[in-house]
Amino acid sequence: MGEPAVSGAGAGQPPPIRLTVNGAPVEVRAPGSTTLATVLREQLDLRATKIACERGECGACTVLVGGRPTMACVTPAALVREPVETLEAVADEVTDLRAEFADRGAFQCGFCTPGQLVHGAALTRRADELRESGDLQERVRTELSGNICRCTGYQAITQAVCAVIARRATRMPEGAR
Amino acid sequence: MNPIGERVRPLDWDARTRGTVPYTADLWRPGHLWGAILRSPHPFAEIVAVDTSLAERLPGVRAVLTAADFPEGIRYLHRGAPLSDRPPLAEDVVRHVGQEVAAVAADTREIAQAARDAIRVRYRVRSAPLTPRASLRPSARRLHTRVTDEPNVAMILHSDWGDVERGRNAGSVVVEGSFVYPSVSHACMEPNTTLAAWHEESGSVELWTSTQAPWFIAKEVSHLLGIPHERVICREVAVGGGFGSKSKASEHEILAAALSRKAGRPVLVELSREEEFGANKPRHRFETRLRTAADDQGVIRLFDADILVDNGSYNHMGTSVMRVGVITLGSMYRPDGATFTSRLVDTATQPGGQFRGYGTPQVSLAVESQVDELADRLGLDPLEMRLRNLGPEFATTLCGYEVTTSRLGDCLRVVRDELGWDAHRAARVPGRGVGVAAGMHGSGAYAYASANRSDAAIDVYADGRVRVRHGSADAGTGQNTILAQIAAGELGVPLDRVEVLSMDSERTPFELGAWSSRGTHMTGFSVGIAARGLADKLRALAALKLGTDAVELRGGRAEADGEGVEIGALVALSEEATPDGRLSNEASYLLTGTEMISQDKDRFNLSPTYAFAAHGAVVDVDRRTGKVRVVDYVAAHDVGRALNPTAVEGQIVGGAAMGIGAALGEELVREGGRVVNTSYLHYAMPRSADLPSLRPVIVNGEDAAGPYGAKSVGEMSIIPPGAAVANAVSDAVGVRITELPITPDKVLVALAEKEGRRRRHHLWRRPGRWWVAVIRSLYPLGLHHVLHRYGTRIGRRRRVGRSTGAPPAAPALSAPGSLAEVAALVSQGAQPVGGATDALVERRREPRPAAVLVSTTGVARMRRITEEGGGLRIGAAVTLTELAEALADSLPFVTEAIRTIASPQIRNSATVGGNLAQEKRCWFFRNGFDCYKRNGATSPCYAVGGDHRFQHAVIDGHRCQAVTPSDLGTVLGAVDADVLLVRGAESRTVPVASLYSGPGELTLGDGEFVGEVVIGEVALARRGAFAKLALYQGDFATASATLSARVDADGRWHDTRVVLGAVAPTPWRALATERALNGTVPTARGLRSLLDAELDRHAHPLPGNGWKLDAVAGLAEEAFERLAR
Repeated sequence: MGEPAVSGAGAGQPPPIRLTVNGAPVEVRAPGSTTLATVLREQLDLRATKIACERGECGACTVLVGGRPTMACVTPAALVREPVETLEAVADEVTDLRAEFADRGAFQCGFCTPGQLVHGAALTRRADELRESGDLQERVRTELSGNICRCTGYQAITQAVCAVIARRATRMPEGAR
Repeated sequence: MNPIGERVRPLDWDARTRGTVPYTADLWRPGHLWGAILRSPHPFAEIVAVDTSLAERLPGVRAVLTAADFPEGIRYLHRGAPLSDRPPLAEDVVRHVGQEVAAVAADTREIAQAARDAIRVRYRVRSAPLTPRASLRPSARRLHTRVTDEPNVAMILHSDWGDVERGRNAGSVVVEGSFVYPSVSHACMEPNTTLAAWHEESGSVELWTSTQAPWFIAKEVSHLLGIPHERVICREVAVGGGFGSKSKASEHEILAAALSRKAGRPVLVELSREEEFGANKPRHRFETRLRTAADDQGVIRLFDADILVDNGSYNHMGTSVMRVGVITLGSMYRPDGATFTSRLVDTATQPGGQFRGYGTPQVSLAVESQVDELADRLGLDPLEMRLRNLGPEFATTLCGYEVTTSRLGDCLRVVRDELGWDAHRAARVPGRGVGVAAGMHGSGAYAYASANRSDAAIDVYADGRVRVRHGSADAGTGQNTILAQIAAGELGVPLDRVEVLSMDSERTPFELGAWSSRGTHMTGFSVGIAARGLADKLRALAALKLGTDAVELRGGRAEADGEGVEIGALVALSEEATPDGRLSNEASYLLTGTEMISQDKDRFNLSPTYAFAAHGAVVDVDRRTGKVRVVDYVAAHDVGRALNPTAVEGQIVGGAAMGIGAALGEELVREGGRVVNTSYLHYAMPRSADLPSLRPVIVNGEDAAGPYGAKSVGEMSIIPPGAAVANAVSDAVGVRITELPITPDKVLVALAEKEGRRRRHHLWRRPGRWWVAVIRSLYPLGLHHVLHRYGTRIGRRRRVGRSTGAPPAAPALSAPGSLAEVAALVSQGAQPVGGATDALVERRREPRPAAVLVSTTGVARMRRITEEGGGLRIGAAVTLTELAEALADSLPFVTEAIRTIASPQIRNSATVGGNLAQEKRCWFFRNGFDCYKRNGATSPCYAVGGDHRFQHAVIDGHRCQAVTPSDLGTVLGAVDADVLLVRGAESRTVPVASLYSGPGELTLGDGEFVGEVVIGEVALARRGAFAKLALYQGDFATASATLSARVDADGRWHDTRVVLGAVAPTPWRALATERALNGTVPTARGLRSLLDAELDRHAHPLPGNGWKLDAVAGLAEEAFERLAR
């Protein structure tokens, strides 16, 4: 945890926002209320993170902050104190989940997919806990209810995440939590 | 292996799942301009003047467009004259809220939006009809000059098909009813987006645009910009969902192109989610009055329909949507006759557009509901009744369809077996029901000239790669993958060597795009033909090289007699090959045997093949809350041969899910012509946990008329769910809901009516409510009109003053490390926030948003939960996730309540303090209506006369009908929690219940904020339970009930708390019920009767939300049962 970020939109250059994104420290200058999603997409050129509602209601912008799924479109970048992970970095961790997505038809248009995968990655890191929590499918469906998909009816997404959880032991990649 | 018919991965799965496939907005680069569109705030108004001077003077503004930038009188072509009626920007009149009036391009998004807001438009507001019934009144304002004689009727279809008289005479049982399928939104995940780049030297424009049909975009852009079709060049880009909406122009493409031409720079126009819901073209609402007659054998003899289709303010595809809708009466079954009159009615609301299913789901709801009603009257099994009415294969239907193969009977039998139909029907579990519905849909439609033609090209490169080129667009249907499978199969190359180029106007041949379920049929054929032609060329080259004619293409090689050559190596041998090593073949597929839609006929064979399906649903209906839950669902589809079963199943499940959404929750709600629910938050489409496993079954077949035996699937799957669910609900609880969506209110109202229950509130005995009752009664008598029309003009929003043009400054946001610093900033007027997830959204609608935000999340001690004196002190900056974890053992029902709030992502950021202090819940307020609460006393409360079924108060509502939204505040009230309020260096502690003074309004003084929540030791010894009714997983409560008590060894309750959420301006304690329960061993029935009596004494519901009293009492019963467990 770094210093609490303080930033404002006073005269002149806004104070810097220091973030750790996908393992690398970065410093950006933006008004304090600038969202994490805007910083990722427009300043850091990390465009896997999608914007679909800008109100924190659909999950397309899901990234991990301190390992926790977070709506980047309503998170002020200035309040982010823990490491940020986006699909650009998470993709290699979840090659098995990505393959399950492909095999089961868990994406069609693909626009919500980065958010689903990032959230799915967070769930697979909790594989042991989730496996022991009773009805895995129901649990995964509830956990993923903040990630809207208009194409698939969620079926294949749920099955893909469950399949990976079922066979994966919990592991904690460096930098998470 | 030939991949045709195999389950293969989507072609670009690796890039798609890495997030590296660019969608249009991902193409934006510094140097591109941002566009913004000014839209009409009025349903109907004359435009007196448009003044863009202030916007144009703003630094960073590069172009401002008005109607004057287009040729006078020009209209979108769409279905052609005389139907063309929509201007690219409003000229002298606006006809719906959200219609485009002007557009701006500027250096930044903020400048573009500020410039848009700085355009002054003087409107002369006029009344205009907002519903079809209002439009049909002789006195109604005519929105257009139309060719029919009836007011505001854009088109009438009237036909008798077959022998209507015989059908009428032969019917021994007749059912009649009116069915409504509402206006629903596509809600594609990717907002509609265009990046346009004008090239002055060539007079051409390049477009990267989210579309299913680049050809139609080019057609409209070229027409409206006055440039040749071939100078509009669409490029390939990923498209985030279409569902029909993107199969024709969606206005942003044209405006982006025109802005780019005027600014001389590339422009990105990206619609907001509010624009997506509020201004785009949703499904046409159908009101279908239907009479169906059957004989005593259960054979349907006649359909007789009178249909009103809400066209909205412009034609778009309403005429053909209506035509395809009525075709439902003469396509799937085989009555003696069908007769109908259908009117396409103009209303001053957003125009309807193309939507998956295209009119069929709407009429199918009526037909398939009445099949069940007839079966019920005749004592027949509804599934059996459908089997008795199957149309034959290879026959012509009443509507002129020449059906080829049909396995609808098998689909129905699959539903029966897979769903356990007979067992469900026999078991009669209370509240559980089973329903079925059938459907039919074409595989393409001959709706335009040349819609029966598709061209495609294939290239093979010297390195052995193969590329398919087609001009359609895969918005998520899997079309590109299927076409790659076809090419790989025909050319005998491994699938991983095949790539696909789509959409590109310069590099792909003629193709009209993906609409009307035509993709697989049309491009499946054209790519197949092109591939076979290329295979012939390769075999001929190989024959020369290998010296034999017996050449086979497999594994990327041409082989004969044990010898072989890589196909790439053959390219150089061809005289046709390009010097850089590419051999191509382009081919054209011309479909014969179908007939084009025309005005002079009423029967057409629109499609080469027809797909069929039967869907079966098992539902549980909660008689206490009215909530319907689908618990099992089987969708059996006759798709001919599935070319990629995984993709087909994806289309089946996805369409069924969307159909279930429309059946149970989705509806665009309008007030004064303006969409109220312009956000996912307020649009009850299914989330993951709202759906069961939907089980797709492909009933394998083979249709010789389809490519490789295939028929369509994409639209078929959305047709049956509405009636399947409605039929299951009827089976479950014996009430038939004829208007979708089947929301809890409709179920409870119908049940109350059936059971003869009625609540009496004795307002005459309650003088305290008289004034409110009088005001409410004046609303429909003109008060609402006066306040809306005139009162809103002098409200708070107006006093803020007009935009000076400059973009508003972004607020300062800080997160100091000490409580003292936070307190100091709040004392100076800063807005205290936690994770700021709600504050950032809400401030967009504030007339005077706070200039400084201060977050509590930097203060370490506010982030902690500490034990003290056996109780808990919870810092205001603790997140909801953390609190849920901390209370899981001690107060599990509080944890349970927290886990129903929003989504895990929001709960990870949102704080306890932020949740308690969040803004009120009301979709009028939250979506920016200038209401009483936002704009002051001269403005109306839109909930009084508007749609208040779910969100508004039934108890104690006053001028504002909103409620306090915090489930946390409700449930903490039931454990007597306190809150520590901080001001400067001082603090005070109050019960959480007294934190609230009104809907989402707090008793905080100036500079005061929530610092801590305190839960006492006694509270932790409580038992409790929480029950909530929400329209989808994570929605705010429509109603909630929390019970808590100290339960002694004998089971007696003490210090009982009964706190009801979302029924009153603040969390509402049922004090009389609490008192009566204390010291007793309560029963569910006893609780219910006490609570019902108390609610009846206190409630003063609005006309449409009295059902919430039943629901909340039912929730209290449910909570009781959980607590007793």
